[in-house]
Amino acid sequence: MATILVVDDEFGIGELLEALLQDDGHRVLTAMNGRHALERMAEARPDLVISDLMMPVMDGAVLLRSIREHAEYRGIPFMLMCALPESSIADRVQGYDAFLRKPFKLMEMSGLVNNLLNRPP
Amino acid sequence: MTDSKTSGDTHEIGRLSSGIAGLDTVLLGGFVKNGLYILEGTPGAGKTILGNQICYHHAAGGGRALYVTLLSEQHERLLANLGQLSFFDGSKVAHEILYVSAFQLLERDGLGGLLTMLRRDIVAHEAGLLVLDGLVAAEAYASTELELKKFVHELQTLAAAADCTMFLLTSSGIGTDQSGVRPEHTMVDGIISLHDTECGWRVERDVIVRKFRGSDHLRGRHALCITGDGIKVWPRTESLRLPAARRPRGTTSPRISSGIPGLDAMTGGGLPAGTSTVVIGKSGAGKTSLALQFMSGCTAGSPGIFLGFHEAPERLAARLAQWALPTTGAVKFLWYGEAEGLIDRVACDLLEAVRESGATRVVIDGLLGFEDMSVQPERLAPFYKALVEQLRELGATSLCTAELRETAPSVAPPPLNRLSAVAENLILLRHVEARGQLQRFISVLKLRDSQFDQRVRRFEIGQGGIVLDEAGAGIAEFSAGPLDAAAPGA
Repeated sequence: MATILVVDDEFGIGELLEALLQDDGHRVLTAMNGRHALERMAEARPDLVISDLMMPVMDGAVLLRSIREHAEYRGIPFMLMCALPESSIADRVQGYDAFLRKPFKLMEMSGLVNNLLNRPP
Repeated sequence: MTDSKTSGDTHEIGRLSSGIAGLDTVLLGGFVKNGLYILEGTPGAGKTILGNQICYHHAAGGGRALYVTLLSEQHERLLANLGQLSFFDGSKVAHEILYVSAFQLLERDGLGGLLTMLRRDIVAHEAGLLVLDGLVAAEAYASTELELKKFVHELQTLAAAADCTMFLLTSSGIGTDQSGVRPEHTMVDGIISLHDTECGWRVERDVIVRKFRGSDHLRGRHALCITGDGIKVWPRTESLRLPAARRPRGTTSPRISSGIPGLDAMTGGGLPAGTSTVVIGKSGAGKTSLALQFMSGCTAGSPGIFLGFHEAPERLAARLAQWALPTTGAVKFLWYGEAEGLIDRVACDLLEAVRESGATRVVIDGLLGFEDMSVQPERLAPFYKALVEQLRELGATSLCTAELRETAPSVAPPPLNRLSAVAENLILLRHVEARGQLQRFISVLKLRDSQFDQRVRRFEIGQGGIVLDEAGAGIAEFSAGPLDAAAPGA
């Protein structure tokens, strides 16, 4: 069982991911934006972060940069979600480990989660 | 560094066929895949049949479906009723199509519990299609409108993620005055309304697509029937799209023979190809004979379709044979003898037959047959125009006959005014009693962009069909009074 932090401001996505990941036996933390996510990470270090890109208060790009600059968190795998194609955000956001285009497919999401969790450190 | 690259710059909108050709035409290709749709209608409107028909079509194509009921028909009864319909395939039940009753779970765990069950069963069954029959029951368990909206929103998210197209069946519908708009209507991707409407002594079914996100569609009412094969839909003929690249409408079309040499001479070589001709006259004037003779120009490589409402195909074929007109195998007859019918069904059948055969000549014998069928007379003028335009785009030259009622005054009766838009060419047939026998006359009243012989010519219907009097004897020689007709709409 892994601890996974799901960060999304959009109603429905976070709830669905939480339910699906829980069905797979994972512990799931949720947050509504980047700042909220950092607060949740201070409570419990996740094994994986799944974050939307476009969010209020602190977006996914800033969250990613904050994690990569943090000595304790920088090794945590980060999956970025966005409704835009990856090619249109690649020059603005770097350092993520996997990209998930919205609307995502369950199989695709599940496969990426397993890859990231089973990746050698 | 990324572990995964996903799709390209655009999300392609996939389609899910309903399995009902006419409905797919209305939707311009089917439902948008992974959308969430409401199928609404009063009890008996056909929602359950439609939901199941889509499931069985999906399963026939190798897909899997989940049919969830909420306090609606019991499953054994539902399956027994479905068993009467040809699309039902018992071998799919419990394998490709799972029937699940979720009312007790809804009663116990509320909408949240229902959502969890749907999510798990969709994933476990790998269902590409979900039907939730009885949304009204789910609404009853939503304590607030917001709770229901959240439920619908989460279903929508699940549909996209699980690659599952969803249909919610409900008897609460939007009225024509939009008075029945409910919270869920604003959220779903599409709303399909089924109706069963009294029209005088008849009851007519129809379907309206009230909302369809992500795609254009054919708006308005479209005829629907429930048959032994399930639901059939015939798009409203006037709503059918014409191709973006239309056939050129030149002013000097090549001529095609009417099959009557004397008439060809009157029209300067025949009827302009690709045009529509209306032949009018009272009963017995020779309209069907002229139409049959027009068919004599058909060959295996240039076939024809003869659509009629009155004379049976066997009788028509016998007349062709009697006249020794060489049309064997080149003419297909479509016949609609029933007293009650659907004009759009007839039009769809005709257009499909023309499309399939590549017919270049089309006869509609008795345009007023459409009038007898229709319960919406206000539709007829645009209907005729749309039908003739579709035929023209398919490359067919059409000839329609229209009967002048026996009680018709000397000018054309009002119904014929509806034909003015489609009558690019107009031919009038008359018969008078003179010199102790029936005398028939033909005249051309209108020929698109062309000069024509304006004389009234006598003709006979003999062993070889219609033959114009070589001597050119006109009606004046037989009638002392004024001529008994004038151009429609004149």
